[in-house]
Amino acid sequence: MDDATTAARRHSRRRFLALSGAAGLAGLAGCSAERVDEGADGEADESNATDDASETNETDEDASDADASPTLTVATYGAFVDAPSVSPGAWLKETFESRVDATVEWATPDNGVNYYLERAASGASIDADLYVGLTTEDLVRADAELDDDDLFAEAGAIDGSDAVRDGLRFDPRGRAVPFDTGYVSLVYDGTETTAPETFEGLLDEDHRGALIAQNPGSSSTGRSFLLHTIHRFGDGGDEGGYGGGDETVEGTDDDPDYDYLDYWADLQANDVRVLGSWEDAYTAWSNGEAPMVVSYSTDQVFAADAGEDLERHQIRFVNDEAYATPEGMAVFADADEPALAREFMSFLLEPAVQGEIAKRNVAFPATTTAALPDDYASLAKEPTTSVTFGYDELQGSLDGWITDWERQVAGN
Amino acid sequence: MSDTSRRLRDRVERRALTALTAATVAVLVVVFYYPVGTVLVEAVVVDGRLTLAVFADLLRDPFYLGEFARLFTGEGPVAVARAVAAPDRRLGIVGFTAYQAVLSTIVSVALGLPAAYVLARFEFPGRRTLRSVTILPFVLPSIMVAVGFVATFGRNGTLNAVLSAIGGPRVDLMFSLEAILIAHAFYNAPLVARVTTAAWESVDASAVETARSLGAGPLRAFLDVVAPQLYPAVLTSAALTFVFTFGTFPIVLALGGFELATVEVFVYRLARDLQYAEAAALALVELVIALGVLFAYLRYEAATAVSSRRARPLPRKLLWPDAWTPRALAERAGIVTYAGFAAVVFFAPIASMVLASVTTADGSLTLDHYRFLLTRQQTGAAFQVRPWPAVRNSVLFAGASAMVALPMGVVVAVITTRASRGRSLVGAVAMAPFAVSGIVVGLGLLRGLVFGVEVAGWRIAVAGSAAIVAAHAVAGYPFVVRTVAPGLASLDASLVESARALGASRARALFDIELPLVWPGVVAGAAFAVAISMGEFTATVVLATGTDAYTMPVAIERFIGRRLGPATAMGVVLLIVTGVSFLVIERLGGEVRDY
Repeated sequence: MDDATTAARRHSRRRFLALSGAAGLAGLAGCSAERVDEGADGEADESNATDDASETNETDEDASDADASPTLTVATYGAFVDAPSVSPGAWLKETFESRVDATVEWATPDNGVNYYLERAASGASIDADLYVGLTTEDLVRADAELDDDDLFAEAGAIDGSDAVRDGLRFDPRGRAVPFDTGYVSLVYDGTETTAPETFEGLLDEDHRGALIAQNPGSSSTGRSFLLHTIHRFGDGGDEGGYGGGDETVEGTDDDPDYDYLDYWADLQANDVRVLGSWEDAYTAWSNGEAPMVVSYSTDQVFAADAGEDLERHQIRFVNDEAYATPEGMAVFADADEPALAREFMSFLLEPAVQGEIAKRNVAFPATTTAALPDDYASLAKEPTTSVTFGYDELQGSLDGWITDWERQVAGN
Repeated sequence: MSDTSRRLRDRVERRALTALTAATVAVLVVVFYYPVGTVLVEAVVVDGRLTLAVFADLLRDPFYLGEFARLFTGEGPVAVARAVAAPDRRLGIVGFTAYQAVLSTIVSVALGLPAAYVLARFEFPGRRTLRSVTILPFVLPSIMVAVGFVATFGRNGTLNAVLSAIGGPRVDLMFSLEAILIAHAFYNAPLVARVTTAAWESVDASAVETARSLGAGPLRAFLDVVAPQLYPAVLTSAALTFVFTFGTFPIVLALGGFELATVEVFVYRLARDLQYAEAAALALVELVIALGVLFAYLRYEAATAVSSRRARPLPRKLLWPDAWTPRALAERAGIVTYAGFAAVVFFAPIASMVLASVTTADGSLTLDHYRFLLTRQQTGAAFQVRPWPAVRNSVLFAGASAMVALPMGVVVAVITTRASRGRSLVGAVAMAPFAVSGIVVGLGLLRGLVFGVEVAGWRIAVAGSAAIVAAHAVAGYPFVVRTVAPGLASLDASLVESARALGASRARALFDIELPLVWPGVVAGAAFAVAISMGEFTATVVLATGTDAYTMPVAIERFIGRRLGPATAMGVVLLIVTGVSFLVIERLGGEVRDY
């Protein structure tokens, strides 16, 4: 299919028009009215679109209609463009715009991908060209919610995507292309304790009450740590649980009778703290409530930046492993600028850009060709082995795993 | 004034209450009942078909309802009662949530009432300022409270430092039910104090004097005359505290941990994972319980309203008495003890938060976090959140939403106090914005307003400033109802009747006779409406998407990074701006109006 004509047709569909009679009031109220397209021909839209004078609340991409330069709307999570320390958003926008005759607009709805899933489910237009920051579970959730109606289009041939490391590719249907990854590990205060080298070590009496983790239902670090324990100990077949009954994950512990719920029972017996969010946990850990916390393996980057004692910010990869959390990007099926979106994707995979994203997003590049300073690894730690569940493993299992865990831990 | 204009004015006045009622209903439907309905309906409509299966599963699930689930699996009430009384009973998530809410309410009332007593009955320098800023904790985002609490009650916190300095025992308060209860009291005891203070200031001094002149002792006069006029306020705030702490989230997970998870934690998780049927069913169970409590309270209020014609407030005592009688001494000793508790529970966490905004991780003083705010303001890109627009929007929205919430609240208060039949039910439904899960409200606003509704081939969407103001007004107006209605209910109905007989319209009677008599309640309601708006996050972040209409709580959330310094600095800005707003409201509202 010819991308350019598709784009043009889609674009004409997505015009916002304020009701001209109530333009003033509606503008004040933030009201907008959009002609609902029901497979109708584009002509009706064109005739409406001539009423430009009353457009009080149109989106920016419409405004750019006047000049020839297209606008690329990139949806992402807030911290990608607006973190208090560093974030890659501004640099990416500036660099891309300096090369391509286009304007990059960031969209950062609070509930991330769910916002676009909701839009699609409600029949509202998507209003963005690509999403940057997709996780494996986002994709699983999107596919489950929208059944056969894909929110994202296949990536197709993206320049530079062959350089993406194999272990990070998480979309079997080739829509999401990874652009960076993080690793969830233990962070500990070396002046207080030495973190154990194995999962079993966390059950030692020495480490009673020493670990703060997060709720997998509301925190991605918490979810990653839970998944890591499932990867290690297996899901035990979940008899009578909500996981479907079959053991889908055997674990690497060589004990078929001991699963992640057994391990968590032992962790609970050893007084693990499970708080709500990463912020809750990190605040408590920073104040010395416990010497170990589940966090990111880039912790020392931030600590060094703030001039803190690195001895207090030690990283431990339990069993020499860390749970990888690759982030991907994908073009919306409903994108107005799919070609430009794909250009942006390949831009993000360029070696120099990969290095900048890693530094500014404080993460690790997704490609093998990224240009990074030699000393990057001195503060941002990478595990010997990274583990992560792929799309097929999470699909249909994740919810049961979390539900079973919740029912065990919050047994009031 | 000419006859024409007087007639016009009369006509406007006569229709005023009807028009206001219609407008109130319209606002409620558009920004609350309809959006919330789009989410809650998913509990019973699954894949386009009406079903009660999701509900049935939920009610039969002991994980949620504990032993009470047996009621829905066919066991008799007696067997269930026996199971509940058994020592190894399971409360279930819903049962535990109610349990901690009851405890939180008790603690909040216990900590709030002494404050009301001091604020309403004593005179001391700074009293009005103190009364104004009482409800400051109300606006604080939970992450700020968590920062303050860990720094105060934590293992290495201020409390332990003080205790060890005076040779006392160390206390380990964090991550326990106690920590949650104290945090809930931190948020809600000020509510109890503020609402009760307003009622206490409305007590008529002459009634007390009459009782005393007839030979009643101070205690008897208090119990017979003053206390009955305070019960509605105390119970109002207790009922509200129950409802707020019943819907609590995320503070329970920040200070307690997942073992103490409440219903809302699961509503959040289910909604986040798009399991809307289960999330909606759980939110409905939550709503029914919360509304049930409000309804029961309103029934009580309707049955026990006492009439009064307030003429002048009670004289205040001096905090430093003229004569140190044993009674005065005992009273002051009690106040000092209470002040000590209040300092630990309310003042210390806020002070710790302020301190956190000027310290680095290794404890040295810094202004870096405030410098960050300045830099972000000066160099932040257009797509980034900057401090000044957040402050400006917060103040504008708070002012505007209070202007909307006040008439809405007064109208609903009038309807629910004067209508004879079904007033408790109307009253409870009007309180729904307090009782509905915040997660459901956010999702509903997204679907109902931001994405829009299809009407005759057009998709009408509402977002941005006006929608935020309306949403804040809806979130805050029940406070106006609750601070005004008890006062209105206790007014002698003959006051209004005489005015009406003399030719005043209903609106004129309300403005000239009733509202002046319950003025402290109106001012308190305005303060709460502003507080709700200043602290509101869920609706704001949804409705501000894609616009520059973000507020201070949104900025705080955005400034949370791997280091919390910048967010705490913004939190302090929020505290200061809100505190100043409260002072302005109380100054504008004036002291109790006497004439």
